[in-house]
Amino acid sequence: MRFLSDTWYVAWRELIKFFRAKVRVVVTMIQPLLWLGLMGNVMQGFAKNPYVQQMIGTQSYLAFMTPGIILMTVLFGGVFSGISVIWDRRIGYLEKMMAAPISRGAIPLGKMLAAAIQGGFQVLLIVLIALGLGVRFASGPAGIILIVLIAMVFSTILSGFSLSMAVRIKTQETLMALVNFLTMPLMFTSNALFPREAMPSWLSAIAKVNPVSHAVAPIRELVLHGWNWGAMYTGIFVILGLAVSMGLFAQWMFRRATAE
Amino acid sequence: MKRAIEVEDLVKIYKGGVRAVDGISFSIGEREIFGFLGPNGAGKSTTIKCVIGLLKPTAGTIRVLGVDIRHDPGVVKRSIGYAAQETAVDDRLTGWQNLYLQGRFYHLPRREIRRRGEEVLRLFGLWDRRKDAADTYSGGMLKRLDIACALIHRPKILFLDEPTLGLDVQTRQTIWDYIERLRGEHEMTIFLTTHYMEEADVLSDRVAIIDRGKIVALDRPGALKAGIGGDLITVRFSAGDGLEPLIRSLKGLPGVREIRGAQDGIHRIVVEQHGDRLIPEIVRLAQEHGVDIHSIRLKRPTLDDVYLHYTGRQIREAEGSREELIRARVMSRRIRR
Repeated sequence: MRFLSDTWYVAWRELIKFFRAKVRVVVTMIQPLLWLGLMGNVMQGFAKNPYVQQMIGTQSYLAFMTPGIILMTVLFGGVFSGISVIWDRRIGYLEKMMAAPISRGAIPLGKMLAAAIQGGFQVLLIVLIALGLGVRFASGPAGIILIVLIAMVFSTILSGFSLSMAVRIKTQETLMALVNFLTMPLMFTSNALFPREAMPSWLSAIAKVNPVSHAVAPIRELVLHGWNWGAMYTGIFVILGLAVSMGLFAQWMFRRATAE
Repeated sequence: MKRAIEVEDLVKIYKGGVRAVDGISFSIGEREIFGFLGPNGAGKSTTIKCVIGLLKPTAGTIRVLGVDIRHDPGVVKRSIGYAAQETAVDDRLTGWQNLYLQGRFYHLPRREIRRRGEEVLRLFGLWDRRKDAADTYSGGMLKRLDIACALIHRPKILFLDEPTLGLDVQTRQTIWDYIERLRGEHEMTIFLTTHYMEEADVLSDRVAIIDRGKIVALDRPGALKAGIGGDLITVRFSAGDGLEPLIRSLKGLPGVREIRGAQDGIHRIVVEQHGDRLIPEIVRLAQEHGVDIHSIRLKRPTLDDVYLHYTGRQIREAEGSREELIRARVMSRRIRR
């Protein structure tokens, strides 16, 4: 119980700050809006080609890329949660938390939880935007809930990774550089924006194992085709497994780094 | 008297071999204000961090309220409050949110946080500003909020690491008043580190002077001052052949206990009493030996002199050996981790 309470209050602090920064919340939504509005519409021209339709499995490129944009948003959100650790260390807050009788493992888990909730909130907004742009979600409202949940779990993977790195990396600049270095390739070697069928074979091979693709698969299924568990369970299983491992890894990194 | 803190032969060696704390022992009684005085990098913060369980000691034992911290860190953590050198307030939360969060981290029930929170915020004069974001607070208010947070769980011992660092004189005075009230009205034991002589002198019942990881003196401020003699005459002589014989004959004067040389011809003459009567004699002897006097000064001892006496260095002295500089830098980096 105490562990859960500790985790929740670590997250509570991050969430207060997140929702207090209303400008930031709005600005983070502009990018996905641009992606959907501009790229989605430009690429729509290609989707008139029946061959392309066959590759992306739908007549609407917008619907095809919505899952990609959802994951891109939580990817960028989650990956920056390590910054808060570097900040906390600098202002002495990390030490303050560790001087208190809270479980050390609750610190990364709380921050992961916060990243997930922030991500879930942003995904809901993207879904609303997508609905406004005419995307139809084949799996209905229940499917939207599952989409949000998958995206939330996915964001904990990146947040866990970022937090684990932040334990070792002492400056914000280095962490940002590392994170930027990783996110773009992670995004573009996945099938988030382009179908694997359109990729050269080497890229397609990378895209197949890329965790982003694993998260895309069930979400795309829910958007385009509906409740087809056969096409979804591998992705969901991989994402859950990665999230749990990252959670354990981040806790281990925190305990190890603070046991001096 | 029951002991609040007992430290025996504490050693802390950081990775890389810096001996931050080098075998120190002391014990603090209940309701005592204990001052830890030393320059930056002397090992003050490291000692505190070992006692409150943030750093693992390399060797030695630490007991807090009779409990070995290795055996039960949880119990120890609950009975102490800690306000770090860096004012660890989240300035994007309000004052109240900072306090509430701290209460939650100590697993206090909501009602208790509300009652106790109001009490400490009123005590520190922050109650009216509790709903404002902390980034609108002044430096002194932030420090007060930080100390208030450290008090939310009614600790028996409060650790204050450089509580007035970087604050202006009036604010410092206010913080001192609060610290004294805490001991008086709330029966708290307070462990304080500082590199301000005045602070250690005004607040502490006992002062430990720490230098390069070792305690070089430990006593009541009054006793420390008395221990280095009655008066102190600081003379700056010009260099010359006559200097050495002059010092020899000065040592022979009645009442002179000790003469310590420092750089630039500065000498500190410790006199048992009536230093003023000795000044004409010093001037006469200097003339006799053909040594010029640049300046002469008589002083009743302060903790500054005590510090100087035991370490041979001025506490605010910026220059130091290269090795010491590196040491100080390594340690401040360590501590920020």
